[in-house]
Parts: sequence; structure tokens; C-alpha cells
Amino acid sequence: MDFNDSPEEAAFRQEVKTWLAENAQAYREPLPLGPGDIRIAEMGREWQKIKARGGYAAISWPTEAGGRGATPIEEVIFAEEENRYHVPVGPFVGIGVGLAVPTIRAHGTPEQIEQFAHPTLMGDILWCQLFSEPAAGSDLAAVRTRAQRDGDDWVVNGQKVWTSWAHTADWGILLARTDPEQVKHKGLTFFLLDMRTPGIDVRPIRSISGESEFNEVFLTDVRIPDRCRLGEVGAGWGVAMTTLMNERANSTGESLLLPDVSSLVRLARERGLAEKNQRELAALYAREQGLKYFQARQLTALSRGEQLGPMSVISKLVFANVLQDGSAMGLDMLGLEAAFLATEDHRVTRFQYGYQWAAALRIAGGADEILKNQIAERELGLPGEIRADKGVPFSQLPVGR
Amino acid sequence: MNFDFSDDQKMLADHARQFLGETCTFDRLREFVASGEDYDRALWQQMVELGWPGLSVPEAAGGLGLGVLELCLLSEEIGRVLAPVPFFSTVCQAVPLLEQAGGEVADSLLARIAAGTCTVAVANPDQGHSLELGGNSCLDGALAPVAWLHCADVLLVTASETDGTAVLLSVELDQPGVQRERLAAQVLDSVSAWGAAHFDKALTTVLARGELVVALNHKLRLRSAVLLAFEQLGGADSACTMARDYSLERYTFGRQIGGYQAIKHKLADVRVAIELARSNAYYGAWALYTDSPELPRAAALARISGTETFTLAAEENLQVHGGIGYTWEANCHFYYQRARLLAVAVGGPDQWAAELLESIR
Amino acid sequence: MNPQELNDWLATARNWLQEQAPDYSGKARQGLTMDEDLALGRRWQALKSDAGYACITLPRQYDGGGGTEMQKILFEAEEKTWDLPNTYFGISLGMPVPMLLRYGSEAVKDELLPKAIRGEHIWCQLFSEPAAGSDLAALTLKATRDGDGWRLNGQKLWTSWAQYSDWGIIVTRSDPTVPKHAGLTYFYLDMKSEGVEVRTIRKLAGESEINEVFFNNVYVPDSQRMGEVGGGFKVAIETLMVERYAVSDEACGGISAERFIDIAARARIGSRPALEDGEVRRLLADTLVERQGLRSIHRRAMEAIAAGHEPGPEGAIRKLLIAKRRLLLGAAAMDLMGPDALLYDSSAAQSNDPVNAWIEAPPIRIAGGTDEILRNTIAEKVLRLPQDHRPDKGVPFNQL
Ligand SMILES: Cc1cc2nc3c(=O)[nH]c(=O)nc-3n(C[C@H](O)[C@H](O)[C@H](O)COP(=O)(O)OP(=O)(O)OC[C@H]3O[C@@H](n4cnc5c(N)ncnc54)[C@H](O)[C@@H]3O)c2cc1C
Ligand SMILES: Cc1cc2nc3c(=O)[nH]c(=O)nc-3n(C[C@H](O)[C@H](O)[C@H](O)COP(=O)(O)OP(=O)(O)OC[C@H]3O[C@@H](n4cnc5c(N)ncnc54)[C@H](O)[C@@H]3O)c2cc1C
Repeated sequence: MDFNDSPEEAAFRQEVKTWLAENAQAYREPLPLGPGDIRIAEMGREWQKIKARGGYAAISWPTEAGGRGATPIEEVIFAEEENRYHVPVGPFVGIGVGLAVPTIRAHGTPEQIEQFAHPTLMGDILWCQLFSEPAAGSDLAAVRTRAQRDGDDWVVNGQKVWTSWAHTADWGILLARTDPEQVKHKGLTFFLLDMRTPGIDVRPIRSISGESEFNEVFLTDVRIPDRCRLGEVGAGWGVAMTTLMNERANSTGESLLLPDVSSLVRLARERGLAEKNQRELAALYAREQGLKYFQARQLTALSRGEQLGPMSVISKLVFANVLQDGSAMGLDMLGLEAAFLATEDHRVTRFQYGYQWAAALRIAGGADEILKNQIAERELGLPGEIRADKGVPFSQLPVGR
Repeated sequence: MNFDFSDDQKMLADHARQFLGETCTFDRLREFVASGEDYDRALWQQMVELGWPGLSVPEAAGGLGLGVLELCLLSEEIGRVLAPVPFFSTVCQAVPLLEQAGGEVADSLLARIAAGTCTVAVANPDQGHSLELGGNSCLDGALAPVAWLHCADVLLVTASETDGTAVLLSVELDQPGVQRERLAAQVLDSVSAWGAAHFDKALTTVLARGELVVALNHKLRLRSAVLLAFEQLGGADSACTMARDYSLERYTFGRQIGGYQAIKHKLADVRVAIELARSNAYYGAWALYTDSPELPRAAALARISGTETFTLAAEENLQVHGGIGYTWEANCHFYYQRARLLAVAVGGPDQWAAELLESIR
Repeated sequence: MNPQELNDWLATARNWLQEQAPDYSGKARQGLTMDEDLALGRRWQALKSDAGYACITLPRQYDGGGGTEMQKILFEAEEKTWDLPNTYFGISLGMPVPMLLRYGSEAVKDELLPKAIRGEHIWCQLFSEPAAGSDLAALTLKATRDGDGWRLNGQKLWTSWAQYSDWGIIVTRSDPTVPKHAGLTYFYLDMKSEGVEVRTIRKLAGESEINEVFFNNVYVPDSQRMGEVGGGFKVAIETLMVERYAVSDEACGGISAERFIDIAARARIGSRPALEDGEVRRLLADTLVERQGLRSIHRRAMEAIAAGHEPGPEGAIRKLLIAKRRLLLGAAAMDLMGPDALLYDSSAAQSNDPVNAWIEAPPIRIAGGTDEILRNTIAEKVLRLPQDHRPDKGVPFNQL
């Protein structure tokens, strides 16, 4: 058992440090952007290009796919080192690199892989994920957006919602219903959609923090050529599963913008509140650190070529809940100061941002309750949910609001 | 980084799990309690045959010369079945104390432990007893409660000399100067036994003195925390499995209770806590193994997660069982009570929480 | 009774307790076996009955107190400050006796109620079975017609105090061919009837009050039926609604906030009294806040009952919270005691001894509605959420 870098890992880390020192100079200080400033997407694209040129865009991917052919541990080492800088990384780039590309690689034709995978890694294409709809979130297979065949094209009508970074994306991955007479999981098809196609209307949604990182996307007679279909007609659910698996494995959402428990403990100490909250702080810290070492165990498993089991979903589950509990506690300790949003004090804004972001994180990419169901069913082997929709054609299902 | 146990270590754990699963059943625990025996001598004898007492005793002294990582895994397996033997005090605590103290007496004790002819009780130095060592290394005074004190062969205890210097003593318990008894009051955890001793000019050997004793005790505490965390982990994991199995068997309102989200999410919460506790325990194991400067923080993390998780798993296991969980027959009580016992052994949650926060700068 | 009269009445009651209770509580109970303690309890019930303090809301003609709900609450709160041997009568007087009052004939009430109220008789509640707990309507104990009466065959489980009981109330399956809730019939019966066998169950610690009860062709006259044939489920629910209000002790039988303060004042964390520790103070504050809230809910509910309304589902909130609180306070006090908590005396009063308070806490989260079932009740009855999926609905019992 060895928690430290192996000699090869240490050498890689050193190499990365050196490279970053040369290439990430511009990111020594926090970016001159307020929260929600969309210019960060373009900055992210630039940084992705720099990484790609340095050979760090797809560290753990095989070389034939344009990657470096290194281990997942080296991937993490890079991220750790990269995160010492205020680099513009986030979903604006991550949706493409982390979700779209693995899905395209798994289900795409050679031409699709050629057309999309490499350019995405190079920062040439930014993506968004057009899955959720007003009546399809946790129950994603309930999507109603309709795609109908018309010659060599598909014509798409419907509405997507919560589409993060649709306003900056070049392309989108889209899940649509091609056959409403099938049971709900069977009538879906997966498409790649050029976001400049006529008929797409992206409207920002204002979130609780006042920012607009996600959108409603209205699709009116949007034409998608059949060559932009990913996978077979009616096989969209299986394709989307690949995306979701990558989403759940990738998303923890750690960021320099968010508070960690150590900073909470320091704050408590400063305010003379550490002792009073000793047990709670210690428990929170133990959850946070437990997650860190859990991820180290997962990486070890990955680097041995093992598949990750159902417990991998706890990364997001635990992270989001620790973030919410910790941020709430931090805000309590800050007192009335914390009630004012427009403050210059970086620490106050971190707890505020943490508190608001945690609420989103507990829902996005698999809500807490859904993840617990998964753990109960897949890890513990408990029965699945009673489903009123089994075997019923989609067009005959009851609908709520 | 290679943050996992090796295949050989896992194999050892698998063997241990199989052996303990077959021998140390709930039926056996119940028989043990009914018999009023001090500890399960037959089981201990089998462990001796497997070489467990000498697992981490150097080969030169007749042991297997394995390390603390193997000990962690065995502790988890022992925690899983709640084996009523003085494994923790003899193997996890006494062996490293003796090894670090060194000297002829310590070496011969190690050899006896490895040979399976000696069990050891260790008095927790935090427990607030104050024993004074008189002339000729003779000990007077009283000591209680200490696990297995009434039935162990040797006691390791810290006392002070008249000038206040701390000394680590070994006391052969079968001697005229020592009166012992099993504590008559009911012990919270029915599968462990606790004793009291009265010393009247008891003969002792000084194993270490002064600063060294303080250092040894400090290390003992951290080590105990990590190894107990593995015991807690084993207990939590088997309590969770037991609850899962029952929830699949039991039907209410025409459905398995494991199908209701109240139960599914409850058990998912327990399972998540176990995964975090396991990760913290592994980190503790690594810190112990490498004698890392991180050890105080790692030990506190392991301990806090372990206590919280075992408590949760034991309480909710009983709850999932409904009324049957409250009966002696259903076995839930073994975990329920052990969880509380382990929570207060080697320092309670408040103390460890304070120490953990200390480590954050 | 106007507030002034109520105050005077309470002052008298308090004096009476001060005079009488010491001979029946605390030291007087130390070292007693369960049998001896029960005998003491019976004497206490009789004494109370003579003074009008037993079953205060039941009519005087049956040796009850003939008083109001308010008097009962006030007296019980006062009585709870003493550690009296009342536990044996909790179920007996809490459920079967009020049900007998509602459903018994005059002659039967004249004969049996005074004996129960005076503690001469104990009544038990024979509802749960091995495969019927939360899902009470799944019970299988069979009742078949036999002339003017019924024959009972089957098994009950978890019957508290059955080993001391003279009478019991029982729910049986009289018709397995109709859906499960519709085929039940409710009786009271003499526990000394031929064919009744009681076996005590060993529980996780201490002396046991729970039993298995086997029925081998036990005869019950039809005159002892309570409610309609096939109407037993309704009567059972009525009984349970009364039960959820019978728990009136706010520490739920465990250590009170005051007792916890007492322990924390003597324990030390580091170099300071634990009572000065911020964490301990927070736990206490939470406990007191919750207690105050529950007092209000409780009082409101009791007043509703006194005014003749049915008890609402708020009773579920109360039980859910006090049971969990008892577990929390017990565990916290044990943490403060350190290794001393490892040794305990199972005969010590649960209201005084944290270890016993903790060990005996789990069944409270289970008996009389488990935490999960209570949450369902709150979700469905208070918040009006839909019921869980129920595959057993409408299906004849013998086809499940
Ligand atoms: C910040 C943010 C960014 C997002 N970005 C994107 C994006 O880029 N692209 C995209 O496609 N989507 C995106 N989403 C949408 C996200 O995937 C959905 O919000 C999520 O799947 C939940 O769906 P919902 O919001 O419809 O909630 P619902 O599914 O309606 O859930 C409501 C509540 O009911 C619970 N619930 C639902 N079903 C069950 C069940 N079976 N058992 C128990 N509880 C249940 C849920 O846990 C939740 O608490 C984003 C969301 C957020 C918050
Ligand atoms: C100390 C004690 C004294 C008792 N005294 C008496 C007595 O005198 N007379 C009498 O008749 N009974 C008595 N009982 C029995 C008591 O009423 C039952 O134990 C209780 O109703 C629970 O039933 P069960 O034990 O069969 O558990 P189950 O109903 O089998 O429940 C097992 C678990 O599943 C959960 N569960 C069940 N259904 C659901 C659902 N739909 N949704 C979510 N979760 C669910 C429960 O909450 C529980 O956690 C006593 C019990 C105890 C512990």
C-alpha cells in the first residue's frame, strides 16, 4: 500500500509542474471575471488549446485516439497541479471532453469520431447536453422532444431545459423521441446538433444566484442530417447511458471557487466557534477526507484495469452534501455579513457560492434520491422501484405537470 | 500511488473471513455468553494454530514477521464476527509496545505470545488510573475496568515512580500479590469481559521509563485508533449486510420491505458511510504502516468515521428488523452494544474530534 | 373546573404524591425482582384509585378519577417526576381499558374495569404476529364459529406483559376469503382460558416483558366480541389511535433534559465541566426547543380529545421525535461517562441511568408504529401525499 506518488508518477508530476510554470503564468491570479461571466467559455477554449498543444488534453486516452496513453492517476496528477492555478476549466469545456467525446467514441462511426473527437480535444468545438426537459429529468426516458424523418433529414420540435452553456456551445448532444408508439425507453434516438442550425432559440434561465449558466432551448422545425445521428434509430437510450455514466463518474465539482472544510474550520477558530461545533466539524471533515481517500481507492482500481462499481456515484452525492452542510455552517458563523451578496471579501463569497451551487449539485447529473436508489439496487441488491410505466407505449402514459 | 491492499494481503483476509465465518457464528457467541467463560479459549487456540497472535511478532522471536497492514485486515474480520478473544489487547496493542520497548523481558514475552502461551491485558493510559510504583519495583493499588484483566496472563500498565517519572510495567498476573475478579456488574457488550485487579506488593518488571513511555503511549493510542477503526468497519459492514438480507426476506403490505424507499435510502446512507469509513481507515493504515507524520490526523479521521458509521449501521440494522431486532434471538444486539463499547474505548468521540481539528492548520 | 380550581386540585395532588410516592419509588424499588416490583405497583395503583388519581378520566363508578383530560395530563406530568412502578399498567390502562369502556356491556364493565384500574388485573394487547407487525392486517390467527362462540387457533408475538396478564384484547382472522382488512374480528378474552400458552422472549438486555402467546383451540364466547364480525380492523385502528396518545412522558421513559444536565455538570471534557462545552450546550438547547414544541402540540391534541374530537395524526410526530431524542440523549450521556458507561446495572431506572435509557431505546422506535410507518402517516395524513404502492389491496387474503 502506498499513498504517495510512485517514482514514475513523481517524475510526471515534476514534468507537469515545469510545463505549467511555463504555460499557465497568465492564471496565477484569479480571473478578472465575475461569477456567471460567459467570457470564461472562450478563455476555457484557449486553455484547452494550450493543453492540447502540450499533450495534456487527453492524458489517459489511448494514443491512437489522440491521447497520451497515460494512467488515470496521471490524469489526476495533472488536474491537481493544474488546480493550483486559476485556470478556466469547467463544464463549458468539460461537457464536450468529458461527455460528448466518450459517447461519440463508444457509439460513433469512424467518420463521426474523426469529425468530432479530435477537434473537441483541441478546443475547436464546445458542446452542450440537450437531455433534460420540463417533464423529463430524473425520469430522462420521458423526453417528448420529437424527431421525425423527412428524407435524409430529421425534423426536430420540442423544448429542452437546464441546458448548461447552450449559449456558448458550438454543438449539442440531443436525445429525442422518434417513436411514441414504443415503450418509453425504446422510442428514443440520439443526435449531434449543430447549434447554429436555424430554428434553435436559446433563452437563459436565471438561477438562484442570479447567474445564467443554464438555458431553455426551444427547437422549432430544426433539421438534422441523418449522418448526425449517433447510434441506431431507437437505440438512443443506450447511447445516453454512456453519457450519464461518464457524467456521474466525472462530476464532483471541486473548484477553487468553493470552500472546503479546512477553510470552515479556520473560520470557526477565528470566530471562537470551533469548540462549540467540534463534533460536527470533525464529522464533516471526516466525510470530506473520506471521499478524497475513496477517490484514491477508485483510481487505484482504475489503474489496475478494474471496472468501477455502483459506489462510484458517491463522489457527487457526498461532495454536494458536504458542500451544502459546510457552506451553511460557514454562513452561520459569518453572521449578518453573509447576508450581503455584493461583498469583496473572497471568503464570504466562497461560502455564499458554495451554498447556492450545492443546491444545484444535489440535483444535476442525478439527484440525491436517484443516486441512493442506484446504490440500494445495484450495490445492495434491493428491489427496483414500482414502475407504473413498464411496458406501456409512451403515448399512453399518464402525465403530471 | 497504489492505495489498496496487495493480493497476498487480501488473500489472508479472505481466508480469515472464511475461517471466522464458519467458526465464530452467532450461535457460538450465544453459547459463549451462556457459558460464563472468560474468553473463547477454543477459538483462541485455533487462532494460535493459524499463527495470528504472532502475526506481527518478528520471525526471530517465533512470529510470522508480517506488518501492521495484515493486522488491519484481521481486525476488520474479527470485528465482523465480534470474536470474544483478547486479540486486540494482545496482538494489536501489546506486541508493538513490547517490540518498541525492547529488552530481554519484552523479547521473552513476545516469544510467549507468538507461541500462543500468553494473553495480555493492556490498561488504557488515558483512563485516569494512578498507580504508584514502590521500592523493588513493587506495585500497590487498584485497577478497573480493563478488558480481559481477570483472565489474561500478563498486564501492561503505565505507573509512576515516587518522583513522578512514568514507567511502563509488565505484571505477571498469576502471582500472590495480585487479586483479580471479573466485574460482576453487567457489561454493556455481553461478548466482552472486563476485570478488576488489586495489587499488593505485586512484582513487576519495568519495560521502559520516562520520555520513552510517553512516546510509546502516544503511539499506542494512535495505533489503537486505527486498528479499532478496522474493527468498527467490519462490524458496520456485517450489520449492513444483515439488514439488507432481512429486508429482502420480510414482507409487509404485499411487498419486500427492502423495496420501500424508506428502507432503501436508509441502507444506501449506511452503505455510503461505510465506504467513507473504509477509505479513512485505509488512509490510517497507510499512515501507520509508513509511520507518516500524518498519523495523528489519519488516526483521528479513521476513528471518527469508524465510530459514526458503526453506530449508524448497528442502530439502523436493529430498526430494519422491527420487533424481532429487539430480541436476544435476532443477534442485532451484538452489534448495537459493541458499537457503543468501541465508541468509548480508547477515548470518546469528543476527544478525537478535538484532536482532529487540532491537525487542521 | 376553572383555572383556580385546577391549580388547587393540582396542589393537593402534589402534596399527596409527596407524602405517598417515596414509599413506592426510587430506593423502595432498588434490588426488587420483577415480581416484587409488580406487587408494589399493584399496591400503588390501588392507593391511587382510592384517592381518585388512577385513570383520572374514567368514571368514578369504576374506581377511576372522574376527572378531565387536563387533570390527567397535569397529574401524570407530576407523577413522572417520581420513579414509580407504573410500567406494567401502561398498555393495560392505555388501550384495552378505554376500549372496554367503549365496547363492554354494563355488567362486564362493572365487574372488570375496577379490577383493571386498581391494578388487580392486567390486560394485554394481542395484535402483532410473526408475519404481521407494521402490516397488522396481514395477521393469520384464526377464529372459527363454534356454537355461541368462537375457537381461536394460531400465534401472537411481542405481547407485552402477557406473562402477568389476566385478560387480553385480540384481533383475529374470521374470514380469509375477503380482502385482508375486511376479514378481521376483535374480541377480549380471559388469558387463563384453556389452550392459551405464554412463553417469554429473551430480549437484548435485562428482564423481559415481551412474550409469544400460542392459541390452541381457545374458546371465546361471542358476547366478548367488540365491534362487528369483519369489523375488527376498524376497532384495532381505534385502539392504536388511543395508544399513540398514551405516551405522555416527554423523556419517553429515558433520561430527561434535567437529568442530562445533571450528568453533564459532573462530567468533564478536557479540563472543564462538560456543561460548559459548546457542543453539549447545543444538544441541550436543541432538546429543550424540541420539548417545548412538542408540549404545545401535545397540549393542543389533548384539548382536542377533551373536546370530544378524534385524535389527529400529530401524535405520530410526537412519538417519532421523543423516541429518537431518547436514543440521542442516552448515547450523548454515555459518551460523557467514558469507560464507566461500559458497566451497568440493568435494574437501574431508565429515567435515571443513561445506559439503561440507551439500551432500551430501540424498541420504542419500533413498538406502537415504527419510525418509518409514522413518517408515512405524517406524509399521507398531514401532508396528503399518496400512499405507497400496495399490491395487497382488494385481493382476497387467502390469495395473497
Ligand atoms: C445547475 C444545473 C445544470 C444542469 N445542466 C444540464 C445540462 O446541461 N443538460 C441537461 O440535459 N440537463 C441539465 N440539468 C438537468 C438535470 O439533469 C436535472 O435537473 C436532473 O436530472 C433532475 O431532473 P428534474 O430537475 O426534472 O427533477 P425531477 O426529476 O422532477 O425531480 C424532482 C425531485 O423528485 C425526486 N425524484 C424523482 N424521481 C424519483 C424517484 N423515482 N424516487 C425518489 N425521488 C425521486 C428527485 O430526486 C428530486 O428531488 C442541469 C441541472 C442543474 C441544476
Ligand atoms: C418492546 C415491544 C413491545 C411490544 N408490545 C406489543 C404488544 O403488547 N402487543 C402487540 O400486539 N404488539 C406489540 N409489539 C409489536 C409492535 O407493534 C411491532 O413490533 C411493530 O408494529 C412493528 O412490526 P414488526 O416488528 O413486525 O416489524 P415490521 O413491520 O416487519 O417492520 C420491519 C421494518 O420495516 C419497516 N417497514 C415496514 N413496512 C414499511 C413500509 N410500508 N414503508 C417503509 N418501511 C416499512 C419498519 O419500519 C421496520 O423498520 C411490541 C414490540 C416491541 C418491540
